[in-house]
Order: sequence, then structure tokens, then C-alpha cells
Amino acid sequence: MKNRGLAFKLILLILSSVTLIFLLIFGYSYMYSKRIIVENVEKNATNLARATVNQIDIVLRSIEKVPQNLSCVLGQSLCSGNELNNLLKYIVQNNKEIYGSAVAFSPLAYDDKKERYAPYFYKSGGEIKYSDLGKASYQYFFQDWYQIPKELDRPVWTEPYFDEGGGNIIMSTYSVPFYRTVDGEKGIAGIITSDISLSWLQEIVASIKIAKTGYGFLISQNGTFVTHPKEELVMNETIFSQAEARGDDGLRKIGRKMIHGESGFVPFRSMLTGKLCWMVYAPLSSSKWSLGVLFPQDELMADVARLNKTVIILGVIGFAFLLVIIVFIARSITRPLSVLAGVAEDIATGNLDVLIPEIKTGDEVGKLAQSFDYMKTSLKQYISDLTETTAVKERIESELQIAHDIQMGILPKIFPAFPEMSEFDLYATIEPAREVGGDLFDFFFLDDDHLCFNVGDVSGKGVPASLFMAITKTLIKTRATKDMPPEVILNQVNQDLSEDNPSLLFVTLFLGILNIKDGTIEYCNGGHNPPYIIRAGGEIEAVETTSGLALGVMEDFSFQSKRFVLNKGDALFIYSDGVTEAMNTEHKLFSEKRLEGELYRLKDLPVGDILAGVTEKIREFAQDEPQADDITMMIIHYNGSDDSVI
Amino acid sequence: MDLNVKNEEKGTLVSVTGRMDAVSSPEFEKELGRLIGEGNVNFVIDLNGLDYISSSGLRSVLVTAKKLKGVKGQILLASLQAVVKEVFAISGFSTIIPIYESIEEAMTAL
Repeated sequence: MKNRGLAFKLILLILSSVTLIFLLIFGYSYMYSKRIIVENVEKNATNLARATVNQIDIVLRSIEKVPQNLSCVLGQSLCSGNELNNLLKYIVQNNKEIYGSAVAFSPLAYDDKKERYAPYFYKSGGEIKYSDLGKASYQYFFQDWYQIPKELDRPVWTEPYFDEGGGNIIMSTYSVPFYRTVDGEKGIAGIITSDISLSWLQEIVASIKIAKTGYGFLISQNGTFVTHPKEELVMNETIFSQAEARGDDGLRKIGRKMIHGESGFVPFRSMLTGKLCWMVYAPLSSSKWSLGVLFPQDELMADVARLNKTVIILGVIGFAFLLVIIVFIARSITRPLSVLAGVAEDIATGNLDVLIPEIKTGDEVGKLAQSFDYMKTSLKQYISDLTETTAVKERIESELQIAHDIQMGILPKIFPAFPEMSEFDLYATIEPAREVGGDLFDFFFLDDDHLCFNVGDVSGKGVPASLFMAITKTLIKTRATKDMPPEVILNQVNQDLSEDNPSLLFVTLFLGILNIKDGTIEYCNGGHNPPYIIRAGGEIEAVETTSGLALGVMEDFSFQSKRFVLNKGDALFIYSDGVTEAMNTEHKLFSEKRLEGELYRLKDLPVGDILAGVTEKIREFAQDEPQADDITMMIIHYNGSDDSVI
Repeated sequence: MDLNVKNEEKGTLVSVTGRMDAVSSPEFEKELGRLIGEGNVNFVIDLNGLDYISSSGLRSVLVTAKKLKGVKGQILLASLQAVVKEVFAISGFSTIIPIYESIEEAMTAL
């Protein structure tokens, strides 16, 4: 799923949802229709059973009527043998339900001479036949149909039996005792019977047609099968022996309920086909028999099954149709998308001239393609602009680099300066910041004995500062002449810078003049950091301020000079604020305190090495923090003059 | 660098915190220029929160002072930290721009 395409995911999701919905609807419809059908089946089955029971009852009642009526007649008067025979014959002839009918007299009840007498008329081969059951071979005294009603002293339906020597068929007999009063005492004079052919009853029950394999059966009050489509069961088996044979406890319970005259609707397995059925059972009201009717489930559910089959087929067709449509839709979405993905890959590798296919769907994908095209064009434009800008920037940077080189170029570069002069050693260093800066330093002789030196720092950075620095340096060089004290030089330079200074740039400047013969330094400080004197003894002193203002700020400012003396071995250290304001990554300043400490530590080294040592220390301090300002240092070490020694 | 402008009875109090260097000082110059353009002429600049000022920062103060001179206004600096005060002293700017110990003193002096 994870690495499959969009189309696959779409298809999977939609189809599984549709399947789920379909199954839910189908399941519900199946359950619901099944419930309705079962309800209908139960109702119909109960009605059918009731109707059948009624039908059978009618038959049985009509059979019962005959001996009942006859018993009344025979109870009143004793008719002659002929009369009785005619009556019986007439009864059998005119009651199609009745297979045969007999009047079995109690011993000697008919005739003092006759121990047994039982005229019997029955149907055989379309004729009415006569038989005297009193014959020795029949022994009716021992037959159930005679004995049971006599013993119970009431009418009885017998269990099914084969009437051997009598009707010679399987039958059931309704026996009614009749009475006579002899010597004022009422006693049973005999039993009147009417037989029903079980095969004939079977036909009635078999006429119950239920679907294809449904059937009905009757059991007697003992559970013996009276009718059943499986003929060998009739008379020979009971519902309980069947239950035993099948090991079916349910059947036993049903049988028990049936012989108790209950009715019900239960699921049941057919004794004929073994199929699942529903069974309705109901008692007959005439005899104590019970009717069972079986309804094969599958046949009754055939309609539902057919409906389900149709629904499933429709579902499958719809499913296939949906699949085709979704595949089509998914493809139509993903095809342009994969084309776009390919194009995007092309663009990603830098090919901005790739042609974006026109997608005229007007939907989101179409819009995406449009946006994509727009993006490509914009990107192309942007890159072209960027290339141009970069070129311009590079040109400016190279020009700035040139400006920087020129700026550095106007500063003295060879150290020690004046190696031929033994009176002093002078070193200077400038560590320019990345941008063009505004620090400057210079030194030159005003005459044979006087060395003019200066260190300055123009406010701000960049090209304006560097131009201002160049102007300042040139002005100092041109203004400073022989015998001119420092304050005059500064006054004049300040005047020149202030007169026309629209951008209000200014420069801090320390300017001193060293008399190399005696070490005297006359100086003027225009707002610059006070330099340090490193005494030969190791003391570090800051040079006293002259309260001068930075140059270029105010016209007509009056600078003051002061002086001090460098003795042999003393040195003067001048620096720009790039030194003390060098910053580390935590934005801490290098500070005067640290500088003084470094000077003290390095004081005994050769002068050139002192500057290198401080530079090294600043770098170490600043670590990765980019240098923000020029770092300028100058050191003049006074060695003393030969003259002064003399 | 952060600027906080407050109009007081006698003038405008501008509190500066952070650092004034080549990057941030044009902002100071612009904001003060705007305030002057709105007609404010008397300023007290509270530098209590200013940790560092470079020569660019000094220049911005100078540019502002020059502008105010043109409209007869004034700019007073108040409660400077030692390191900043030293920069003003060394550069000589303290001789042309008045510096006060506290805002109250500066306000009184306006």
C-alpha cells in the first residue's frame, strides 16, 4: 500500500468501501427477507396443518358417527341376523371413508348357542364382501379392537394393525361398545367397529402438497406412525424408535409433545430426504392422533435464494463496472500527474527548458500543470535575474577589492621603517576588516631630526570612509611642514575637513612629532584612543589626553598640544579602536585592560614581535567572530641618540 | 539596538538599548530624523541600556546634533555606561554634546 501508486490506493479504498456497504445492505436484506419468509411459512404452515387436521377430523368423525349411531340402535333392540347384515353392508357401501364394519358380540350375547358371532362387511376389489369374524381362525376376543374398548368401557381408536383373516389390510379401527340390559343389569353386549384403511388415509395425508419434498404424517397416541410417505414406518415404527435410531433427542421431545396433544412450529430434519425443514404439528380432535407437516427450508427459501443470487450477480457486475470506471478516473488523474512528476524531476536536475505538457482538464491537475508552468517560468526568470545580480555584485565586489587594494597601497608597507636610523625602530601594522575600512597611519620626517607620525580612524566603513581616509592622509602630509607644531597641523586639517563635509564623516587622529635626538614627543590627540608608553622599566602608561575633538566635526576647533619624553628603551604604542573593540562570539570587547596586560607580557620582545603578539592574541580572543573594524597598531621604540649619549 | 520614544513635559525622551554600530546606527539616525520632522526639537537620549557605541554610532549622534542645531533644538545625553562615556570622552564629543548623569538632570537642563 505504502509504495503503490495513487490509482491503486484509490481503487482499493473505494472498492473496499463499496464492498462493505454492499455486504451490509445485502446482509440486512437477506436477514430481513428471511425473517418475513419464516413468519409467512409459520403462518401458512399452521393454517395448512389446521386445515388438514380439520379435513382428517371430518373423515374420522364421519367414521366415528356410524358405530356410535349403530350402538344406539343395537342397544335398543336386537335385530335379526339378516337385518344386521343388510345394515352393515349398507353402511360399508355408502360410506366411502369406511373400509369395513363389524358388530362383534360378546360371548353368547347374540345367540345362546353361539359363543362367537361377528358379522363383518368390507370392501375388496370393488365389491362388498362378508366374513364372520367369529370363525375359529380369527379369535376376535383377543384382538385389540375388541378388548381395549371393552376393558376401558368406552369408544377407542386402535393402533394401526394388519387385520389378518379379517380385512387383510393395514387399518385402524374405531370401536364402540354397545350395551343391553339383561335381568335389569346393563352390560356390554358387543363392540361395533368401523375400519379405516390406512392406505386410504395415507392418500388424504399425501394429498397435502408442500413444495417438492414436503410431506405430512400421522402418529397415533402411542407415537406409532399411522401414515407416513415411507410406508415401512407405518405400524412398524414409532416416532420414539425413530428418535432412538437417529439419536435425535429433539425428535423425542417433539414426539412427546405430539402425543400430549400439543401443537407447535419447530425446525426439523426430514426423515425422507434428510434436508432441513420446518415442522408444524397439531393434534386431531377426534382421535388422539397428531399430524405433523414438514416444510423443506431450501425449497421455501428458493425465492430468497434466487433473489440473493440475482442481487449478488448484479453486485458483481456493478462491482466490475465500478472497477472499470474507477480505474479510468484514477488513470485520468494520475496519468497527467506522473507526466508532471517526470517533468518536475527534469526541472529538479536543472533543466528549465523542459516543455510542460498542456493539460486541458480544467480541474486541479490542470491547475497544477498551469502553476507548474508558471513556476518554471518564474524560476527561469529568477535564475536569470539572480545570475545578472550576481554578476553585478561580483563586479562591485571586485571594484571594492580594487578600492581596498588602493587604500592599502597608500599606506607604508616596509618595516622596520628607516632601517638606517639607529635612534628608533618603527613598526606598524594594519589588519583591514573585510569591508573597505577607514583606518590610516603614516610617518615621515619634517626635517632631519623630527619624525612626524600619526594614526587615525575614520568614522564608519565602506567607500565613503576610505575616501575620507585618503583625503585625511593626504591633507596631513601636505599640511605638515618643518617646525609646525602638532596642534597647528590638526587645526588646519580639521579646518579643511570641516569646511565641506556634507556627510558629517569625521576622523579621530593621534599625531606626534618625535625629536630623535632627545626623545621628546610633542603630540596632539584629536579624539583618538590614548596611546601607551611602555617604559624601559616595564611600566605601562597611557598618554595624557589633550582634550581634542575628532577632526571634521567642528570648524574652528582649537587643538592643544602636549609633550612627553621617551627615554632610551621606552616605546610608544599607538592603536585604533579596532584593537580594544575587537569582539568575541559572546560580544565581549578585547578592552584596554586586556591590551595593557598583553603589552606588559610582550614588553621585552623585539618591537616588531610585540605587534605580531598582540595581533595573535586578538585573533585568539575573537575566535570565529568576524572582524568588524580595521585593526591598526604602530610602535616606536626609542633607542637613544648618539648625540644624547655624548 | 532598540529605541523607546516617550514624550515628556519638556522634551522627547529616547531610550537606547543594545549596541550602536555601523549596522544599527542608521536606524537611530532615521528615527530621530523622523521625530525632528514631526516638530520635536528637544531631546534627552537615555543611554543607560547602551552597551557599545562605534564611530558610526558617534556619527549618528553628531548628524542628529547638527540637524537640531539647524532648528535651534538640543540633544542631551544622560546616564551613560562607563565604556560609552569613555568613547565620548576620548573622541572629544563630550565637549560638544552635553552629557548628564541622570535623565532628571538632563530634563532639568532642557
